[in-house]
Amino acid sequence: MTGFGVLLKKELREHLKTYKLLIVVAVFLFFGLGTPLMFHYLPSLMETTGEMKITVPDFTATDVVNEYFGTITQIGLLVVLLVAMGSVARERERGTAMMTLSKPVGHGAFVVSKLAALSIIFGLGIVLGAIACYFYTGILFGELDASSFLIANLLIGLFFLVCIAVTLMCSTLFRSQLAAGGLALVMLLGLWVFSLAGSLETYAPMGVIGWGQRVVAELGNSAWGSLGISLGLVAVCTVLAWQALLRREL
Amino acid sequence: MEAIKCEGLTKHFGSIAAVDNLNLVVGEGAIFGFLGPNGAGKTTTVRMLAGLSRPTRGRAWVLGEAVNPRSVSWRSRMGYLPEEPSFYNWMNGRQFLTYVGELFRMSAIENKKRCDELLEFAGLKEAASRKIGGYSKGMRQRLGLAQALINRPKVLFLDEPCSGLDPIGRREVLDTILRLKGQTTVFMSTHILSDVERICDVVGIIDRGRLVIEEGKDKLLERFAPPVFELHLEGDPQAVRRVLSSLPWVVKYEEEQHGAEVTLRIRTSDMAAAKRELPRIVADSGLGLLRYELVSPSLEDVFIELVGHKAEQ
Repeated sequence: MTGFGVLLKKELREHLKTYKLLIVVAVFLFFGLGTPLMFHYLPSLMETTGEMKITVPDFTATDVVNEYFGTITQIGLLVVLLVAMGSVARERERGTAMMTLSKPVGHGAFVVSKLAALSIIFGLGIVLGAIACYFYTGILFGELDASSFLIANLLIGLFFLVCIAVTLMCSTLFRSQLAAGGLALVMLLGLWVFSLAGSLETYAPMGVIGWGQRVVAELGNSAWGSLGISLGLVAVCTVLAWQALLRREL
Repeated sequence: MEAIKCEGLTKHFGSIAAVDNLNLVVGEGAIFGFLGPNGAGKTTTVRMLAGLSRPTRGRAWVLGEAVNPRSVSWRSRMGYLPEEPSFYNWMNGRQFLTYVGELFRMSAIENKKRCDELLEFAGLKEAASRKIGGYSKGMRQRLGLAQALINRPKVLFLDEPCSGLDPIGRREVLDTILRLKGQTTVFMSTHILSDVERICDVVGIIDRGRLVIEEGKDKLLERFAPPVFELHLEGDPQAVRRVLSSLPWVVKYEEEQHGAEVTLRIRTSDMAAAKRELPRIVADSGLGLLRYELVSPSLEDVFIELVGHKAEQ
């Protein structure tokens, strides 16, 4: 992992300078603030739509938070693809990977620094989005159990870590960002479909989202299998990305 | 001692052999000019030696250590400038050099001092705080050379270091490389023969992936490009031509017509006989003699002789 610290610092500065950090944080904040507000004003909005009478159920804090998790995982996945698909592919295409890797830097450090930096910016987005969602939901719909909400966010964080690791691995396989993004999208959608297959949900990496939503709704049914497989998948993708980079022409 | 060595180095891209069974030894402190026409395999060789491309077959050593992408220790003693250096365009020149210095684990004070020196050397002091995205090609090339020198490398790989530079920039780069002589082993790939002629002491010529020759520059010139007599005459050289074709010491004879002026290039196997007899042959022909000289051979002559087609200049 020679050079990891320097590379991580460079990656974080790059995310800041190229506005990726701002975009990620803005997306999470938008949904963190917007979801409770939308649920709060939805009945009033429906009343103003005119003649047709639509009955809107009374929303609870759990409904709001689960909607936030549902939206942020779908939109967030697209943001992960857009931000991470070029991480290695673009550096190989432009030749900057060659400049860096001709220095005393390990290929593993190169990959892991990218994984760590992306995790940090998405982690920051999750934290800020969660804070906004927690307080607005608390103000507008009543208090939430903080520990359940925290656990659910950690599980959402793990879901994003899986998405980042898969996309990063795809990014090492191709010189083209679009090809990397396309393959990552297919793989992540495949994992999503796998998680919909009934009993497999508790083992599918995407099962951690459902577990998080159940934690908030106090419904029990943990999915430790999903958690273990998700962590394993992150490790496997990282090692594959590292090995693929070692074998690729720079 | 050997600074760079490769044995049977081969690189295939599909069915094409970009580099074919390359055996090479470069001594410590040498400035090695790696010459070849476009597509000869120069860049692929440099990349393999710098550990950036995996050979299909064969092995290479730099400073006694086997070149292996997994190992980082030998890279701390090496500098590398690619043909088209790439940078993070959101950084400025100083930030990029500082970043490279940090990768070499230089202390903050040492790094700052070295960056100042190299910005000065690269003529980028004024532009140090400008984003690299706004640099011209020449500025990028100079910054590329500066980053390759940041760790005071023991071995420096330069892939077409003068491409994109104006004549002054080119001279500065060549002078800098010359100043490294004795301290750093320089492996410079290029197709600009005059650059090699000016600064290199050992020359390797590669063509279609195969090393044609590797020899000291002076020996190479002596062996493959003996001096040539050049006669500039006025008039019809038929009589001279007839005499020259009958002389045993004339090895090769070329003629070029420029209007009324004819240039004869004569390669000889007997220098003394040529010196003695050529003026008499011209005098007997009754032609006007505009110029008579013994031309020193150039690397281009060797290159054309060995590679068999005209070098790009």
